[in-house]
Amino acid sequence: MAAPDLRAEVDSLLLQLLQDLEELEAKRAALNSRVEEGWFSLSKARYAMGAKSVGPLQYASRMEPQVCVYISEAQDGLQKFWLVRPSAQTPEEVGPREAALRRRKGLTGTPEPESFPALQDPLNWFGILVPHSLRQAQASFREGLQLAADMASLQIRIDWGRSQLRGLQEKLKQLEPESA
Amino acid sequence: MAGRGKLIAVIGDEDTVTGFLLGGIGELNKNRHPNFLVVEKDTTINEIEDTFRQFLSRDDIGIILINQYIAEMVRHALDAHQRSIPAVLEIPSKEHPYDAAKDSILRRARGMFTAEDLR
Repeated sequence: MAAPDLRAEVDSLLLQLLQDLEELEAKRAALNSRVEEGWFSLSKARYAMGAKSVGPLQYASRMEPQVCVYISEAQDGLQKFWLVRPSAQTPEEVGPREAALRRRKGLTGTPEPESFPALQDPLNWFGILVPHSLRQAQASFREGLQLAADMASLQIRIDWGRSQLRGLQEKLKQLEPESA
Repeated sequence: MAGRGKLIAVIGDEDTVTGFLLGGIGELNKNRHPNFLVVEKDTTINEIEDTFRQFLSRDDIGIILINQYIAEMVRHALDAHQRSIPAVLEIPSKEHPYDAAKDSILRRARGMFTAEDLR
């Protein structure tokens, strides 16, 4: 590839990198805000429920993750994070169970997995009736998690862009001595 | 999108961990190590570093969230982590606002724009 074409490609890559960095910082500012809002809500909840009522003492002894990340890979090798909530898949399992209940077949001995999502909501660790501030805290941190996934994708993109840039700059250096 | 989902891990102070666990990322069972660590006044740097390295070596963790003041304690381990996955995100804490100058990822990115590289 000729030097001018390479330079054009380096330029466009640099521009993309700068854009990605800007977007990363915007997402970071948003994440920091969500987290700060979340802490404030936790403090309000603590004020309502008692100083020792919102903390590690309330953590469940068994936890199932309600949210996880999937990583997809594009053809050029660039990876991206997707935040997924597995509980969104449970409606498919509800059908057969309802049918079984209607037939009144009695207990099959299985532990009713469909009811787990409600039981596993971490809000339940803190009591049956929790103050609104605790729900607000949960909402803030959930939004924060989506932003975190976006930021992780951007970080990967920036790393990938850096390695592409280094490759192009190496090629340019090889061409440049000839033109000097 | 193939394969099992990866976890989000968190190493932070009490409120940060409680908050993100409320968000639903926690995994705790007798078969595996938990994907979170609450850093308290008496938590040693060795413990933090061991947990961080353990999270890095697990192939079922996609993102590690860590308060920046804790990341400072294990900065050498963070800087040595060159892979993109798991992604490490530094977040502020109540007493320590976020400082972009300390962030490992941003320091590396800043290193791209030296005068020599752009000539």
